[in-house]
Amino acid sequence: MNKKVLRNDLILIASLLILAIISLVLVLTLKTKKNLQAKVYVQNEVVEVIDLSKKEEKYYYVQGLKGLVHIHTKNGGIAIVESSCPHQDCVNMGYVYETNRPIICAYNAVYIVIEGKANYDVEI
Amino acid sequence: MKKIAFLFPLLAIALTSCSTNNKVIESKVFCFDTLVEAKLYNGKNEHIKEIEKILNNISNLTDNYELKSINGVYAINQTNEEITIDEQLYTLLQDSFDMANNGVDNFNPLCGSLSKKWKESLAKKEILSETVINEELDKINNTEVILKDNYVIQRNGEAEIDLGGVAKGYALDLVNNYLQENGVASYLINAGSSSIALGEKLTKDGLFTIGLKEVKNAYIKAKNCFISTSSIYEQGVTIDGVTYSHIINPKTGSAINVNDGVIVISRNGAFGDAFSTSLMNNTLEEIKEIEKINDIKTIIIKNNKIVYSHKDIEVKYH
Repeated sequence: MNKKVLRNDLILIASLLILAIISLVLVLTLKTKKNLQAKVYVQNEVVEVIDLSKKEEKYYYVQGLKGLVHIHTKNGGIAIVESSCPHQDCVNMGYVYETNRPIICAYNAVYIVIEGKANYDVEI
Repeated sequence: MKKIAFLFPLLAIALTSCSTNNKVIESKVFCFDTLVEAKLYNGKNEHIKEIEKILNNISNLTDNYELKSINGVYAINQTNEEITIDEQLYTLLQDSFDMANNGVDNFNPLCGSLSKKWKESLAKKEILSETVINEELDKINNTEVILKDNYVIQRNGEAEIDLGGVAKGYALDLVNNYLQENGVASYLINAGSSSIALGEKLTKDGLFTIGLKEVKNAYIKAKNCFISTSSIYEQGVTIDGVTYSHIINPKTGSAINVNDGVIVISRNGAFGDAFSTSLMNNTLEEIKEIEKINDIKTIIIKNNKIVYSHKDIEVKYH
């Protein structure tokens, strides 16, 4: 086997390996940079989809089962800031920035779920 | 060498396409006053429909705040007459009283009225008075529930039934049985974080990663089990520096708990749920003894730190 052929083969192998690694890195990066979005449900129906990656400060008003629910987004987080429910557990939960932590207003059958890349399968 | 070279593009394709895009069927159902999320990794849409049916049925039967089923808990609490109830609810009541009388000491299905009074009081940021607590404890101690033949039940007394401490776990038991019978082994059913049923994940070790919300960067791995959690963190109300929770000690009527959080890993959802509620009011030494005689493993949390975990549970940190 002459030296030139061996050198060309090695270059080819190295190039292909580099290409494979770059492709893998790109795929993984694109997967992990999946944007977070919040889905607002009323009685199991999606009524609002909010892109949290824009980090916008904005109010949303949702008609719940028994009253109006005020939702606020800021700095990539989302919260129920006002609700007609008696116990105010949903309001007291404050801003949520991650998946696996739904905000629930049982009284108004409203829940907000953040979807996107999660660190865990589930949180308890 | 040239022949081998053509393998490398294949390697590149293999490396870049090795994501685990198995078709996951998901469902979100609002029941038990919370969000229940079901994920089936090797199931079908018909399985999801059946799971939703099971969850909604048990949720309606066990609701003690409004009439959602004419043979459910709310209906039982309205009368001292005999009432014929749903077969599954009958079984759940039987199991609940059995657990309360046989080792699950701080769990009592008759805490309904006391629990409602505490909730109303804490919503106003007020502590329930000793007088009301004692009246409610009297009701509990003077009420009996007689389970008769043919799914007939009679409640004698004023205390109300509340199955909130076991209902989700029981529903997950039924879901788990259904999935096993139908050959679905890979699933995650999350009933509001407090009750979770796990099958096996479609990975080499089959383990799910479970983050512990209240303990920074902590997580555990598990499969083929039920995980039940009770804590003061999400519904606790702090008044004058003392945190009161929705978990009431049925012996003293107090809403102050011994532990801040209890996680129970078990083989049965209702059993795990009852224990996670009950152990909130046990000392660490008592919990260790209870673990020895029951098939459960626990993690105990105080001040956002794990103060105890069963030797077979490996808690990891990022």
